[in-house]
Order: sequence, then structure tokens, then C-alpha cells
Amino acid sequence: MRALIDYLRLARMYVGLNLRAQLEYRGAFVAQMAAMAVNDAVWVAFWSLFFSRFPVLHGWKVDDVITLWAVAAAGFGLAHAVCGNALVLATVIAEGQLDVWMLYPRALLPHLLLGRMSASACGDVIFGVAVYLAFVRPDAAHIALFAVLAAGVAVLIVGFDVLSASLGFYLGNSATLTDQWRFSMLTFATYPATLFRGAVKLVLFTAIPAAFINLFPVRALRSLSLADAALALVGALAVAAAGAAAFHIGLRRYQSGNLLTMRG
Amino acid sequence: MEAAIQLDNLQKTFVLTRWRRFRRVRTEVLAVAGITLDVPAGQAVAIIGPNGAGKSTTIKMLTGIVHPSGGHARVRGMVPWLERRRLAGRIGAVFGQRSQLWYHLPPRETFELLARIYGLDRERYRRMRDELVDRFALGAFLDRPVRKLSLGQRMRAEVAASLLHEPEVLFLDEPTIGLDAVARQELRAVVREWNRERGVTLLLTSHDAGDIEHVAKRALVIHQGRVVLDDSVASLRRRYLGSKVLRVRFHEPPAPFHLAGITVVKSAGSALKLHVDTRVVAIERVMTAVLKSGPVADIAIEDPPLDEVIAHIYTRPPPTAEDGAPA
Amino acid sequence: MNRPSVYLHVGRTAARSHLAYLGEVAARATFLTVLLYIFLQLWRITYAETGADRLGGFTLAQMLWYLAMTEAIILSAPPVTPAIDQDARTGGIAVHLLRPISYPFYRLWVALGEQLVRFALNALVGAVLATALVGPAPLAARGVAMFLVAIPLAFTLDFTAHLGIGLCAFWLEDTSGLALLYRRATMLLGGVLLPIDLFPAGLRSALAFLPFRDVVYGPAHLFVQPDGDFLVRLLVRQATGVAALGLVAAAVYRAGVRRIHAHGG
Repeated sequence: MRALIDYLRLARMYVGLNLRAQLEYRGAFVAQMAAMAVNDAVWVAFWSLFFSRFPVLHGWKVDDVITLWAVAAAGFGLAHAVCGNALVLATVIAEGQLDVWMLYPRALLPHLLLGRMSASACGDVIFGVAVYLAFVRPDAAHIALFAVLAAGVAVLIVGFDVLSASLGFYLGNSATLTDQWRFSMLTFATYPATLFRGAVKLVLFTAIPAAFINLFPVRALRSLSLADAALALVGALAVAAAGAAAFHIGLRRYQSGNLLTMRG
Repeated sequence: MEAAIQLDNLQKTFVLTRWRRFRRVRTEVLAVAGITLDVPAGQAVAIIGPNGAGKSTTIKMLTGIVHPSGGHARVRGMVPWLERRRLAGRIGAVFGQRSQLWYHLPPRETFELLARIYGLDRERYRRMRDELVDRFALGAFLDRPVRKLSLGQRMRAEVAASLLHEPEVLFLDEPTIGLDAVARQELRAVVREWNRERGVTLLLTSHDAGDIEHVAKRALVIHQGRVVLDDSVASLRRRYLGSKVLRVRFHEPPAPFHLAGITVVKSAGSALKLHVDTRVVAIERVMTAVLKSGPVADIAIEDPPLDEVIAHIYTRPPPTAEDGAPA
Repeated sequence: MNRPSVYLHVGRTAARSHLAYLGEVAARATFLTVLLYIFLQLWRITYAETGADRLGGFTLAQMLWYLAMTEAIILSAPPVTPAIDQDARTGGIAVHLLRPISYPFYRLWVALGEQLVRFALNALVGAVLATALVGPAPLAARGVAMFLVAIPLAFTLDFTAHLGIGLCAFWLEDTSGLALLYRRATMLLGGVLLPIDLFPAGLRSALAFLPFRDVVYGPAHLFVQPDGDFLVRLLVRQATGVAALGLVAAAVYRAGVRRIHAHGG
């Protein structure tokens, strides 16, 4: 428990420093946030157009899809605003930058993830929260649940980033492969879970764990279902654990120095 | 007293796996062939060697980043690759490619972060920080963003940052690279003082002869994964650095002069390049002879490049045995 | 060397350097597989739920081929704005002014070279995937032919818009934001995700005066529903758009060049 609180205080310090470093170039920072918000808005606009023509999609209505986008954007944004290095972990591994983080008296993975903040991710967070408040007009209970679920999505995303980047321990520079895997996850996660059946649905609970974003959180918020919320959070923790495990197994390989590519 | 750093036949062989036409090709690369040495606490050691000699691999093993293939090592009584986190709190490192200082923020902010990372007691941290600011003369720019600092200022702040948590062992990798003469001297002086006054064990890698001569007491030359020379810097200087290069430009062609211990390397009209063996003749005598032989427009005295010296060491067997001979 | 062959040579060089990126092919394939599969599920369920045989005039198979082609177009866009922004900002445009070929045409040929290669790859991958998912029924010689006829002007129209945006670098600190907005507008209002036939009527009429639909929707629509009249009307719209945007870009260009001459670049 004390270790967790200590880590959270460290995280708060990193967020503060990262934010201040970003604000040194205020214009570019705001521009990147705005760009991401525009990007997200286009998709919400698409769904609005779609649902204006086809009001119900397998039980989902426009509010559900917007909720999905809100939770996904807020969670994704939170993940990379705080743990920005998760986005570039494959490159960090490939370039031997793990070494400098290992010189600190801290657990390697949780510490190194904090080292960076993605400016566009901040745009995602603001968009997600704003869209949820403006379009769905939730009450206090829903807002509270939304916050918890967004945090869960953030944990899942970071865990998944780490899992996919761990390929880098075996493939040298896995950036392209990792990016494709992450892209698939992101895309599936922003479409209603009800679109998928059978084998694909199984994949969405395992190799591309998008179901814990596009299914349970939306169901939980639709009817304030704590059971669905719990499933979403359990899934997030499972993915995070898988990611951490994959990283540490790969790390042992890294430390024996027997990598595909020669390091510095 | 137990040595600060002990290596006992430390070895590292890398196994590189490459894919050549769908078949796996494994090559073994011997990076560190077996190094045994003791570094007593408070000693300042210079580690010299060409790139690929095994220097950085050895340091990576001593800092717990890489696991060895064989042999043992202890730093402050801890096995680095088994107790990485505990050891990290007791060692400091300044590596060339890595800057601890946040580029867009003032050094003060990085110091505060380091205090939290290392879990330093608030009062103790403040006292240490203030002393470092004073000794490293950081006061003028402590609150200026790092990107606005000169390289010399930045390096001083970097080294100070690495000392905030009062480490017992400090690894410095090419700390003066790119610095002008004044900045180099300042940095060397403050590092040397810190080592002498606080007893911080120092491991310095550098290609700069000045760094070695002014900071270190002991020199280790590593080549092809082995220690080929382990001697005091004073001995090294006497035996291998006993020469200087003198470049002179006269206003008009000078009168010829002869002196034992001088070799004319190059002579073209009014320019002259001399090689001086300082074991045979003192540099002052050479200077006097030069100034007497004609009106001098420009004069420069240089150390022979260190690579030249090291190459010299590899090609000639060392005159003394390779046991640890600290200053 | 006469002018057309110079342009051809420049275009071919740009195309060749792009073929070297085999990794991009694989990445593109994964990308499109995920996207088209999801679209298929979305529309399969929509058709089933509404019980309709055709939506917006498209059958399900036609819908998917339509989307495959819109994606092929939108994903092939070369980085025109950054290149022009660079030239304008660094004064590199001045170098081009010294060459005997005019700057915008040079840039157009480079862009087309790159875009056609990318597009061919995307269209091929998209076609393979569409066939695997819904079969080759919508694939017909007439449709393909009309589609290919409509493509060059479509790309030119898109290029002209981005040329104008890039040239704003003479005055703006950063044009990438504008370029992003334009690309996203093309995506939404150009019918990339949803055929314009399915847009609300009000929006459809508003879009009549904007170039987006002629870059993506027009050609892709022709692919699955070849129609001679539609083709002719599309070509006229495209040509008009190129002329209009071209005049704007030319004005911006001339004003910018005057600025260089005044300030010495």
C-alpha cells in the first residue's frame, strides 16, 4: 500500500513536470490537442450521421456509441498523458534506452512509463469528458462511474501497449509490428461490440482485448451495472498483468545481452 | 577495509542471433574476457580504451544493467545484477548520451524530481543541494531552463545532479567532451575536489589525456576485453606521456637550433613542428631555445593524442607486471 | 529534354522510390483487413436489421467495394502540404524558380507519381479483401474503366487544395493544422465512411458546392455503379474545381513569390 502511494506521488510529480515542459511551447501543445479533438469529433460526427439514418444498430443507439467514444477517448488519453512512454516503448527497447532508466533505484517499468506525456493524448481526455457531459447529460452517479471506467480503460491501454511493445525484446525493432497490433486494438475498441460474433468475438477477449472497452463499460454506463463495471476492471487488470509479465520475461533476455541486434 | 569495487574474472560473451536467408546464425562475441581487480574506496580510476574494447560492457555489468556470462563482482558489497535497485541508490552516473536534466525546465526542477525518485529526506536533500549549488557554481542559472545553458554549465549541473543522493561510487563517461578549455578545467577541478574531500570512488572513462591526468590517480587500459595496463597515472605519464608536441610559427624563417631530446617533425619556411621528449629535456629549455632562434608569431604546446599513446601501449609490452598498483 | 518527358521522368522517379517500401504493403494490408472487416460487419447487420436489399442504391456487396475504394483513395494521399510548406518556408521555392519547369506542376507530378503507386497498392489489397469478404460481383470492366478515368482529376483536385494550404506557409506559422482539418473534412464530407446518398438531404445539398465529394465519393460511386452521365458530370465538376482552386492557389503563389522577391527569400 505504501509503495502504491509513493508511486502515485511520483506519478503526480512527473505529470506536473511533463505538463510544464509541454507548456513551454504552448502553441504547439494546444495545436496537437486540438488536432486530436478534431480527429475524434469527425468520428462522432460520422456516427451521428449514421444513426440519423439508422436509429438502432443491434440494440445500440447513438447515445451508446457516443458513450463508447467518450470512455475510449478519455481512457486512451489518460493512459498516454500520464504514461506517454508506453506509446514509444518498442523504440525505447530497440535503442537501448532502458539502460538509463535502470540506473535509478526504482522498479523499471512503472518508472520509465512516466517519463513522457503525449500532447495529443491530452486532447483525447478533454474531448472524451466534454463529449460525455455535453451529449449524454449524465447525472452524478454516471459521472462517477464514467471516471472509474475511464481509469480502467487507461490501465488496460497501458498494459496492452507494454504487452505489444515486448515483442521488441525478441524482434529487435518491432515498432511496425507493434503499431499494427495497437492499431487493430484501437480500431476494434471504437466500434460497438455487438457487431462481432463467434471467433472474432473470442479474439476481442484475448489477443486484441477490445471487448473490455467496447462492451462492458458501455453496458455498465447504460444501466449503472456494477457487474459489468467489475468485468471491465478485471479485464483491464488482467491485460496489465499480462503486459508486465511479458515485459519482465523479455527484460531478462535483454539483460543477458543476447539480442538480435547489437546494442551500443 | 573492503574494496568499493571488486571484480573477479568477470566475463561477458554476447550471443548474436541473426537471420540470414531464413536460417538462424549464432555468433559469439567476446566483449569482456575476464577482468579481475579491486578498487579501494575513494580511489579515482580512469578507464581508457578504444571503442569496442569492453569498457561500456564492464560498466553495464557493474551497474546491474547486464548480467555477466561468468565471474563475480561486487560494488559496495552488493552484486549489481542481483541487487540493482538497492545499488542504484548508492551509485551515481553521468553517461554521455543520457541527460538527466529536463531540457525545457530549470535544473532546480530536475533536482526536486531526483529527490523524490531517490526518496531523499527533505532536510538532507536541501543541505546537499545547497552545497552542490555552491561548489559547482550553479547559483546563477539554477532557475534558467536547461536549453538556455552553455554546454559547460549543463555538464556542471549534470554532475551535480548525479551527486544529490550522496552516492559512494560515481561513474563518469566522457564528461568533458565538447567543452571549451575553461569549462573543462572547472569541471575537472570540482570533480577532483569532490573525490578527495568526500571519498567518492570515481570511475572515469575518457579519451582526453587532460581528464585522466587531472582527475584520476590510477589508470586502467582495456583492450579487447582485457586489462592490458593497470598503473598509477603518474607512472603512465612518466613512461608513456613523456612527450609534448610543439608548434611554432615565426615571422620569418628561424635560425636553426639543436637540442637533445628534440625531433623536428615538420619544417616549412616559417612553421615548425617539434616532438619533445620531456624525459630528456625540460620544456622550458626548449621554449627558450625557440624564442632565441627568431621572432615568434604563434606557439602552441600540445599533448600527443591519447590514442597515439594507447596504441603505443598495445604495441609494446608494459615494463611492469599487471597487478593493481594504486597511487 | 522536352517538357512532358521531364515531368514523366520526375513522376517515374518518385514512383520508383516508393515501390521500395515493402513493409508498407504489409502494414497497409493489415490496416485494410481490420477496417474492411469491421465495415462489413457494420453494414451486414444494418442491412439485416432494416431488411433492405439496397441502401442508398447499393447492395451489401457494392457497399463494401465502395468502401474499399474510398479507403484506397484516401490512404494514398502523399504528404503534399508538408513538402510545399517546407519549400515556401525555407525559401527552397526559389531554387525551383530557377529551373525551367514551373513549381506547381513539378510538385503535382511528384505527388501524382507517389500517389498512383500507393493507390495501386491500396486498390489491389482492397480488391483482394473485398473479394474474400463479399465476392467479386460488383467488379466489372465498365466500372473499373470509369473509376480509372475519374481518378487522375480526383487526385489533381485534392492536390490543388493542398497546394493552396501549403502555400499559406508564407504567412502561417504552421500549416499542418489546416491540412489536418481539410483531410478530416474530406474523410467525413467526401463520403469515405458513408456514401453521400445516405446523408440527410440538407447536408447533401450543402455539399454540392464543395470539392470533397468529387475526390472520393464520385470515383468510388462510379466503380460500383458505372453510369456514363454521372461520369461526365463528375469530370466537369472536377475540372471546375481544379480551375477554381487552381486560381486561388495561383494567387496565393504569386503573392508569396512577390514576398520572397521583396524580402530576399
